[in-house]
Amino acid sequence: MDALTQTYLLLAVGSLLLGLAAGAVMHRSDYCLAGMFRDLFLFRRVDKLRSLVLLVVVSMLLFECARLFGLLPNYPFPLFYAPSAANVAGGLLFGVGMVLAGGCVVGTLYKMGAGSILSAIAFAGLAVGSAAYAEIFPFWSAFGKRTTFFAGSVTLPQILGVAPTVPILVCAAAGGALVLRWQRQGKFRRTSAVAGDLQPWRAALLLALIGLLSAVIVGLPLGITSSYAKIGGWIERLFLPAHVDQSGFFQAVPLHYRHPLTGVDLAGGSAPRFDALAAIQFPLLVGIVAGSAVSALLLGEWHVRRGIPARQLVSALIGGIFMGLASRMAPTCNLWHLLGGIPILAASSFLFLAGLLPGAWLGGRLLTSFVMPPRAEEGPRRP
Amino acid sequence: MNTIEFDIRGQICPSSLLTALREINIHQEALRDRVVRLRFLTDNRDCVATIPESARTMGYASEVRREQDCYAIEVFGD
Repeated sequence: MDALTQTYLLLAVGSLLLGLAAGAVMHRSDYCLAGMFRDLFLFRRVDKLRSLVLLVVVSMLLFECARLFGLLPNYPFPLFYAPSAANVAGGLLFGVGMVLAGGCVVGTLYKMGAGSILSAIAFAGLAVGSAAYAEIFPFWSAFGKRTTFFAGSVTLPQILGVAPTVPILVCAAAGGALVLRWQRQGKFRRTSAVAGDLQPWRAALLLALIGLLSAVIVGLPLGITSSYAKIGGWIERLFLPAHVDQSGFFQAVPLHYRHPLTGVDLAGGSAPRFDALAAIQFPLLVGIVAGSAVSALLLGEWHVRRGIPARQLVSALIGGIFMGLASRMAPTCNLWHLLGGIPILAASSFLFLAGLLPGAWLGGRLLTSFVMPPRAEEGPRRP
Repeated sequence: MNTIEFDIRGQICPSSLLTALREINIHQEALRDRVVRLRFLTDNRDCVATIPESARTMGYASEVRREQDCYAIEVFGD
C-alpha cells in the first residue's frame, strides 16, 4: 500500500469515527446550530447559544494549544481565505436556508439519521443547490475577488500583524468570563424529561474535542459541504457529462495541503471524483448519519413520519437548496466557520456570522408567515 | 376535563413549540379555569424541554410522558 493510499485510509477511518461520535452527541443533545440562531429571533431564547459560546471558547484554547505544540502545521487552516463581501452574502442566504430547512448542513444529517423525512429532503436540496452554484461560479468568483480586502491575510492577528496567541487569549478570556458567569447562575443546566438527554454544555465540550481531533488527525476542522457539491455533480454528470466536465467550478482544485501526520501532499475540490475531500467528508457524512441513527435506535426513537404538511416539505427543499448554494458562495458553511474559523479568529468567519444573523431572522419571518400550517392543516386534533 | 390533542410528530422545527405556544394562548382561559388540558404529541427532543419550560413561565403546569413512539406533553392549569 503506497503512502497516498495509507493517508486516504487514515483520513477515511478517522473521519468516520469522528462523524459517528459527532452524530451521537448531536442527537442526544439535539445540538441544532440552526435552532440556536433561529430561536434567538423567534423566541428571544439564548440558552442554546450559550453552549455555542462555550464550544467556541474551548475550541479557541484547544486549537491554540495544539498550534503551540506544533500539532497544526497547516495554520491558519486550508480553505480559509481573506475576507470579502461574499462571506456576508453567503452567510445571509445560508441563515435563511438553515431556518427554512429546519437544520443546518450538519443538523440535516443527524436529524436524517434519526428518520426525519424533512431532513432527507433538505439533504437532496443541499446537493441540488451546491451543484447549481456551478452556473454562477464565474460571476460569483469574480465578485468575491473584487470585494476582497486585506488580501493575503486570513485571520485577525494576521491583519493586525501580530502573533495569534495574545489576541486569542484575550478573546477566550472575554468569552470565558461570560461562560463562568452563566455557569455560576446555573444557566447551562437544561431540565428535560427526554430519554438519554445529553446536556448541551457537555455536547459543546465533546464537539470541541472532536473538532480538535479533526484538526490534528485530518489537518482540517470539521467540514462537510464539498461532499454535497460532489454528490450534486455526480448526479448532474449522469445527464450532462460535458457540462459538468467543462465547468470552472468543478474543475477547480482549491484544497492543497500536506497531511500533518504522514507528510503526503493532498488535493481536492468539488469535482465528482475521488480526492482528499472525498476521503475526508464522505466518511464524516456517513458517520454523522449513522451515529445519530444508532443513538435513536438505542433509545427506541428511530421513526419515519408521514403526513407532513406539503408546505413544510417545500420549505425543507428550498432551505436545502439555499444552504447548498450559500455554502459555495460564502464559501463554506456554519460548521466550518463557527467551529473552525471563529476559534482561530478567521476574519471571513466573522463576516459569515454577520450575514448569518440577519439571515436567521429573515428565515424565521418566512417560516412563521408561509410555512407554519394554519390550524385547519395541522395533524389530527382530538377533543 | 376536556383534553385536546395535537399531533405534531415529524414536523419541521420549531413547529412543535410554535404550535404549543399558539394553542396555550388560544386556550388560556379554559386552561386557567381547568376545563381543558392540551396534549401535544411530538418526537422533537428539544421540545420536551422547551414546551414545559415555556408553559411554566406562562403560569401553567405540564407533564411529560414517554409514549410508544413519541413524547406526550400535557399542559394544564396550575
